[in-house]
Amino acid sequence: MSATDWTELDGHEALVSELRANPPVAPERLRQRVLELAPGSRRRVALPRSRRSRALAVVLVAAALAVGAALVHGFVSSGSRHGAATNATVHSLGPVVVHGAGAGSTTTPKAAQRLAAPPARPKAAYSTANTGHEAVVIPKDRLVHAHASLQVHVPSHSALTKATNDATQIVSSLGGYAQSVQYQSETKGGGSSFLALEVPVGKAQTAIGRLAQLGTLVSQQVSTQDLQQQLTRQTNQIGTLRRAIAVYEQALQSGSLSPSQRIEIQIKLANARHSVTQLRKARSDTVASGATADISLTLTTGKSSIVGGGTHTSGRFDRLLGGAAGFLALEGIVVLYALVVLSPLLVLGGLAWVVLRERRRRDERRLLASA
Amino acid sequence: MSAAPSALEAPRGTRTAPFADVVAEHLDAVYRYLVYLTGDRTAAEDLTAETFEKAFRSWRRFDPRRAAARTWLCRIAHSAAVDWFRAEARRQRREQTYALETAEIGESVFAEGLSPTLERALRTLTPAEREVVALRVLLELDGPSAARVLGISSTACSTRLSRALKRLEEAMADVRD
Repeated sequence: MSATDWTELDGHEALVSELRANPPVAPERLRQRVLELAPGSRRRVALPRSRRSRALAVVLVAAALAVGAALVHGFVSSGSRHGAATNATVHSLGPVVVHGAGAGSTTTPKAAQRLAAPPARPKAAYSTANTGHEAVVIPKDRLVHAHASLQVHVPSHSALTKATNDATQIVSSLGGYAQSVQYQSETKGGGSSFLALEVPVGKAQTAIGRLAQLGTLVSQQVSTQDLQQQLTRQTNQIGTLRRAIAVYEQALQSGSLSPSQRIEIQIKLANARHSVTQLRKARSDTVASGATADISLTLTTGKSSIVGGGTHTSGRFDRLLGGAAGFLALEGIVVLYALVVLSPLLVLGGLAWVVLRERRRRDERRLLASA
Repeated sequence: MSAAPSALEAPRGTRTAPFADVVAEHLDAVYRYLVYLTGDRTAAEDLTAETFEKAFRSWRRFDPRRAAARTWLCRIAHSAAVDWFRAEARRQRREQTYALETAEIGESVFAEGLSPTLERALRTLTPAEREVVALRVLLELDGPSAARVLGISSTACSTRLSRALKRLEEAMADVRD
């Protein structure tokens, strides 16, 4: 207690002395009355926790619960993904026939055999992953349109550049060309390169094999669409129309037709010639479509870019950690969202509390000043 | 174990002073404070008992690191007294009387040994003024502790004390005249 605490009493020493010399003394009955509240037990219990330490304990418990929930979620989700990993393993064991051109669906081996496409199947897709499988056969005795998608992982950025250049050279050497090349490389992290390639369909199989050897084959999808039936149909239609044109021309040259019949035959002849022209063009497009194969090649480098079979190498512990981290992030988002939603209410509540407290104090001051 | 005995035996953080010791040490101080604040000995007795009853119930929550036991008790007494003043105000409005008029002029309210001049002068002060005098002069609380009991700043507490003492001196002079 400093001396300055008592400067207010300066000049009032006599008054202060008198007041202090005659303090009110609590009557004995009051002392007994109050002591009855506190019977004489003197056992002491240590309760050192302050409000701050209690709040810290609550925060720690909440954080522990959040982490525990995340770990449990990660454990459960890593277990539940085991089936998916098994399917993926089956998927990577060898060529699996997939309905349609999409690669999104996988089937069990039995179902795959049942769904295997016959040679004359109009449209089929073959999807494989990893190496160690036999090359997909593209029929050479029929006109087909082939499309292949390959994802190849390379170990480094320099290998990515080299593989991109090599891919272009491979298709050039086979009589094809690179329709487009998109190369992307990051200093820290992965890089990728996407090439849209066109090769003669007869060399497609060779091209796919050589492109797959640019690195580690992560996934491969080959789809073929049979164009032979379409070509045959178009050729037959052209032949039919040619014969009709010959008949119309003969009829017009005979001179036995009435004027109205002549006009009618002339219209049919013009329509037939027009149809023949269109069919010839369509047949040319069909042949051209069957002449080349589209190959989409994706080259990737960096750990995060490994997909498909690459992810199946991670252990359950990694999946647990990943699931837990994801769940923690979700918890954080929920907490943040709740804070954003509740913060206006909290601010309003705080303001109301301050206003009420101030009003109560003002009433109290008025009461004590006027009583 | 029932709640009451554990509250009695568990002075939060002090770990040394049981409630009975606190009663013995601070009963007079709380009573003096309430006599000065209310200007009514009977009310002060009731409020003192009420204060210690409340203190007893919340004894486990008392943290000596935040305030001294006397300050804490005075804060409880202050709240109890304010409630009493509110009730008195309602009663006065109902009965259209002034409570302090019930005390006879010759009867000593604040202390037996006080001079009649000082006794009368004290009655002219407002409860707020008597309160700060009690805290700073009788209980000898320092500025920050008294300010905490009053719920005002230390500066405001100092100003209030100066004004109260000045008014008390003036009132004594008026009474003498």
